[in-house]
Amino acid sequence: MRFKNNYAKKFLPMNKCLTTFIALFMFTSYKAQSQPDMQKIVIHFKHVANGKSLHPDSVYQNPLGETYSVKKLKYYLSNLGFNKQVNTNISLIDAFATDSIKMMLPYPAKKGTFNFQLGVDSIYNCSGAQDGVLDPLNGMFWTWNTGYINFKLEGQSDYATTKTKHFEYHIGGYTGKNKTMRQIRLPYAGTDRTMQLYILVNLDNFWKGQSDIKISTTPVINSPGAIAKSAADNFSGLFSIIQQ
Amino acid sequence: MQNQQQIILAAYLVLFNNSNSILKKIFILAGILFLVLLFFTGAYEKYGPTPLPFVVPKGWPQPPTNIFASNPSTREGFLLGKTLFYDGNLSRDSITSCASCHQYFAAFSTFEHSFSHGIENRFTQRNAPGLFNLAWKTSYHWDGGVNHLEVQALGPITDTNEMGETLDNLLLKLRNNPQYPPLFKAAFGDTAITTKRILKALAQFTGNLVSAGSKYDQVKNGKDSFLPYEQKGYEIYKQYCSSCHSEPLFTNDKFSNNGLGLNKLNDLGRKRITGLSRDSLQFKIPSLRNLKLTPPYMHDGSMGYITQVINYYTVIDSSLPQLDPILKKPIRLSERNKAELLAFLFTLTDTSFTKNKNYAPGEHIIFRH
Repeated sequence: MRFKNNYAKKFLPMNKCLTTFIALFMFTSYKAQSQPDMQKIVIHFKHVANGKSLHPDSVYQNPLGETYSVKKLKYYLSNLGFNKQVNTNISLIDAFATDSIKMMLPYPAKKGTFNFQLGVDSIYNCSGAQDGVLDPLNGMFWTWNTGYINFKLEGQSDYATTKTKHFEYHIGGYTGKNKTMRQIRLPYAGTDRTMQLYILVNLDNFWKGQSDIKISTTPVINSPGAIAKSAADNFSGLFSIIQQ
Repeated sequence: MQNQQQIILAAYLVLFNNSNSILKKIFILAGILFLVLLFFTGAYEKYGPTPLPFVVPKGWPQPPTNIFASNPSTREGFLLGKTLFYDGNLSRDSITSCASCHQYFAAFSTFEHSFSHGIENRFTQRNAPGLFNLAWKTSYHWDGGVNHLEVQALGPITDTNEMGETLDNLLLKLRNNPQYPPLFKAAFGDTAITTKRILKALAQFTGNLVSAGSKYDQVKNGKDSFLPYEQKGYEIYKQYCSSCHSEPLFTNDKFSNNGLGLNKLNDLGRKRITGLSRDSLQFKIPSLRNLKLTPPYMHDGSMGYITQVINYYTVIDSSLPQLDPILKKPIRLSERNKAELLAFLFTLTDTSFTKNKNYAPGEHIIFRH
């Protein structure tokens, strides 16, 4: 605020002064919002297993022949965008609660790639308390071994060796070799201008990808390390764009 | 602030248009006076919380990272943090507070308990350490699993053996407690009560717990001197203890396997965090400061007396696998040497810390740096 400058204008007719002030104020407000290339994009998520929509009451069979049901599927997406233009906002996707997210992105004219990171950048893992989607309230934060759970899948399976037949994959780890954030690039045809993007999340590929995650042998992953890392290597197979 | 200034200015402009010439002059004069006051006395700053500068004691190193970098330390934030620290509402049974296991008079450790009592008579898994000089640490807990002071409190608050509370319920309780909205407003500008603010306020309290007023510190500052046997003990300490329990913090903040072996709780220490076998049975090296007030000792509180600890290090089995190499060198101490060492260690007791009203329950904040 240039208070003194405005006040110096007291010699001008007051109406003019007021008008100048309002004009200045409006100009500064307008300037902050003008971003001509940005568009509001709606990104829709369709979670499936065995070709059926994911539902907490349904039973599925993974590609390794094990039957299971899903109680929880939550994961973080960050740095979403087309080609090299990204929006650094972080989204928490809950398969049973999030149908779509909206964000401002420069929409590409031609085909290219739609990119994002599954997981939370390491800086947010080591700089103290966070809020919004990163609030520990969301149940995606380890209190005993600081860091975010980038991907959480929980459910029931008769193949699980745990007493309660519960399986639990909390995939996290943000440093060095234990990093579980994964960059994902999906080819994008860039033909329609509807500002809608449909992403298929196929859980079948969680179990079988670069490595196998077998409920019977590994019913629980809940710390950073080699097993979490190999589970994270399967992330990229989960996602694809549904061409409309 | 800018918006408020804009509104005030707009109000003046409207008044100028509608008033007669004398009133106009009065308004202009009042306006000039007001603006001069606003800009040259800095009075408007008084609306925000009062900064509480973190002071590094004389001769001490700067903290490795500034824990207040994104959490400016203020009197109001500190007071809120202290109120939360002493409030049993942070636990599920609404009785157990942070201070239940981190007792004011015991340099914020649990006096005479190997494991502290959590809610419903549950035992914790490790000995509650004293809380002081936390700003110089780069990791927290015996296994170093917590990487920032702000997120440390999440562990004890939600752990089923400790305070056993959910964050949702904690927020509900605090929001419905008339004591808190004004405290949050004073500290953070509005009455919103969030996880982030709770954690930041707690970190302002715990991060400001500085213990640097022991006899040792007085001696270092030239205000006191060691008795002859304390001086001898200091020499012994420098020879045998200082590589891990380094001055002036009396810890190097690293991890070590001191040969205690696996306890009945199968506590693997740092290995649980890193997954590395070389970190098996490694635990954070604690500070020796205030040790007279923090019995029992070791990560599991398995040694009740400090003399036991000193004896232990003189008879340690150097053939133990993975024993910290530093401990493989035998420590030979006569009974007299042990007594001298003990006398020195007792000079690390800081009663100015344990009697500091700023840290006691209640609203005292009288920081004078």
